[in-house]
Amino acid sequence: MIQHFPILSIMVLFLGAFLVVLVGRSRIARTAVVSAAVLTSFALMVALIKPVMIDGQIISYWMGNWAPVSGYAIGIGIEVDALSLFFGLLVSLAVMLSGFYSFKYITQDDSPDLFFTLYLMLAGGVMGIVLSGDLFNIFVMLEVMTFAAVALTAFRSWNPNAREAAFKYLVVGSLGSTFVLLGTALVYGQCHTLNLAQISGLLSVNGINPTMTFAFALLFTGFGVKAFMTPFHPIAADAHAAAPSSVSVLISGVFTKTGVYGIIRVSYFLFKSMGMSSMQTGLVFIGCVSMFVCVTMALNQHDFKRLLAFHSISQIGYILTSLGLCSAIGIAGGLYHAINHTLFKGLLFLTAGAVLYATGTTKLEKLGGLARRMPQTAALFMVGAFSISGIPPFNGFVSKWMIYQAAYEKAAETGSIGYAFVTVIAVVTSVLTLASFVKVGQSVFFGELPVELENVKETPLSMRIPMWIMAALCLLTGVLPGLMQQYIINPAVRATLDYKGYIDAMMGEGYAAAHLADTVPLAEAKYTFAGAWDPAFWLVLFVIVLLGVTVAMMIGKSGRGAATAIADDKHDTFFGGEKNTFSQVGGGDLFWGFKYNFRRYLNVMGNAHSGVVNDYVTWGVIDLALIIVYCFIFM
Amino acid sequence: MMLVNYIGAVLLLATGFYVMMTKENIIKIVIGMGIIDYGLNLIIVSIGFNEGGTAPIFTMSELKPGMYFVDPVPQALTLTSIVIGACVTAMALTLCIKLYEEYGTLNSSHIRRLRG
Repeated sequence: MIQHFPILSIMVLFLGAFLVVLVGRSRIARTAVVSAAVLTSFALMVALIKPVMIDGQIISYWMGNWAPVSGYAIGIGIEVDALSLFFGLLVSLAVMLSGFYSFKYITQDDSPDLFFTLYLMLAGGVMGIVLSGDLFNIFVMLEVMTFAAVALTAFRSWNPNAREAAFKYLVVGSLGSTFVLLGTALVYGQCHTLNLAQISGLLSVNGINPTMTFAFALLFTGFGVKAFMTPFHPIAADAHAAAPSSVSVLISGVFTKTGVYGIIRVSYFLFKSMGMSSMQTGLVFIGCVSMFVCVTMALNQHDFKRLLAFHSISQIGYILTSLGLCSAIGIAGGLYHAINHTLFKGLLFLTAGAVLYATGTTKLEKLGGLARRMPQTAALFMVGAFSISGIPPFNGFVSKWMIYQAAYEKAAETGSIGYAFVTVIAVVTSVLTLASFVKVGQSVFFGELPVELENVKETPLSMRIPMWIMAALCLLTGVLPGLMQQYIINPAVRATLDYKGYIDAMMGEGYAAAHLADTVPLAEAKYTFAGAWDPAFWLVLFVIVLLGVTVAMMIGKSGRGAATAIADDKHDTFFGGEKNTFSQVGGGDLFWGFKYNFRRYLNVMGNAHSGVVNDYVTWGVIDLALIIVYCFIFM
Repeated sequence: MMLVNYIGAVLLLATGFYVMMTKENIIKIVIGMGIIDYGLNLIIVSIGFNEGGTAPIFTMSELKPGMYFVDPVPQALTLTSIVIGACVTAMALTLCIKLYEEYGTLNSSHIRRLRG
């Protein structure tokens, strides 16, 4: 009975997608079908918590009952262990809440029935990826998901940027799919199977030859595209800003998680490469670059949703970094941050959608003072902003704390100063995140209310309820970390580090023991919280940051001359008179001094994000080449 | 014999990447994506090929010892990949038409409202 749940939770979404086309013209029928599909999917996932998470069962299911013959998997398998279920729960929760929000939200667009078809296709594709046990099946679902996401990005016919964003997304996204497919083909050529469990076993026996190193680099980069790791982040920013907000929730909270899931499966499970310190360094480096570059890009944005999009990738950088640390607490922190990212980022995108629904714009300069007109949305935004910046009672604090601790422990364990520096980057990124949300809060919800927005009304109740649920979950996951860890996080961490059960459940008892005899688990799946922190660490951290700032100031001083023209009087020294009356600091420009001092860096970054699709493809191909070279040297 | 296939496939992939990186006409970018697809399909089919193998269908004639067949799985994969490639091309061209209507150009260096 229970082994049918995973496939059903995928199928109801696809079935719903096709039913909506038939009956979607009527609003009631549409609402009923979509609600039934997303609720069933979520309920089936929740029903699996007890057997999988708590009892430690692993559910395997062969499509059409094509069980393995003499140790060779011939059918397509669906397999759910704690890690898959973790992502499955995340996905179905976000899909459900965002779907309920969409019922009212999407009435501003034409053809809402088609919207829900694509929406459920996207949801089904993502569920298919995280629950699948077959590499090629993952690729197909990846394509279903990408198509649906591209079509949804282009969906808003009245948004002038939507088609451009969708085209760039399609081009760069299909680049990622190409990498995944090529990697899959090479793996098949070597192992003659597509089943994840069997590949994992055979790769342990055969060892990693150059072809497999190449395949690893391709699969890693391909899933990296889906997670929008750094050289691929511009398309994410475009797509988030152009898509309807409820779709942004899915792209940010769900779509990127498939990339993270893929990276975990490929590096921890298939190739077992995370035991190597070089691979750990590589993933941590990519994560750090992602989080820092994107958070600084976010400072320069003038569009609410585009800003949120850059923050989304920056938070994905946190997840990749802590997964790269490859210690139990690192993985736990990464997975915890993954669930938190879905919740607070979803909440923030939904508030952005509420602002867009009520005012018709997301330009920061045109908004202001909305807290008076939309008090609940403002409160919800504050919850999301506090969570993402890691303010203590909310969930961001817990996961970021775990990530800092993991990086420090790694530094202590390996004795390398680089990992201590990772913590510094993570803390600085967190501060910059807070700064940029202060700016957004100031320019959207506080300050002066523009005359055009006098008649703005609070969003309808059906849109507020999903937001309140998300806000409540943000708080709950923040104040009850013990429960979360016990029932959700720790089983997933154990499944990541000890995958023997996954292989045995799929290929029959004893398969793992026969193939993985000489491999040891990467790390003990146990960790303790640093409940009372050591003030010495904070002193060291403070000194490092102080030194960094001093060095940066000295470098900045030597290079600054009269050549830099000052565009606005507000940067000039004020002597008196009335000139300054005309150069006020707007709410959207709260950190003008900061931006002014970092203008060189910000200009370089701004110019690099040129908006030309060829450039983004070139970045992607160069990135792939670098990763391949790195893997060949160090793997 | 198979080496030629692999060299050809790699050349196709390289051509496709080159086109996607350098050509500014967005239709040409779509063509580049198509070329990459063909290169991939060629690689996958070559992986499953056995010199002198027969078609993997057993219902027609009796089996003789020493007979062997080509691997059917990569062929199925290629078929799927071709279908997906066709969808990608169709969707990308649709977007090209829309972009031309909205921007009045097919030059990718002019289609860049979203930047920075």
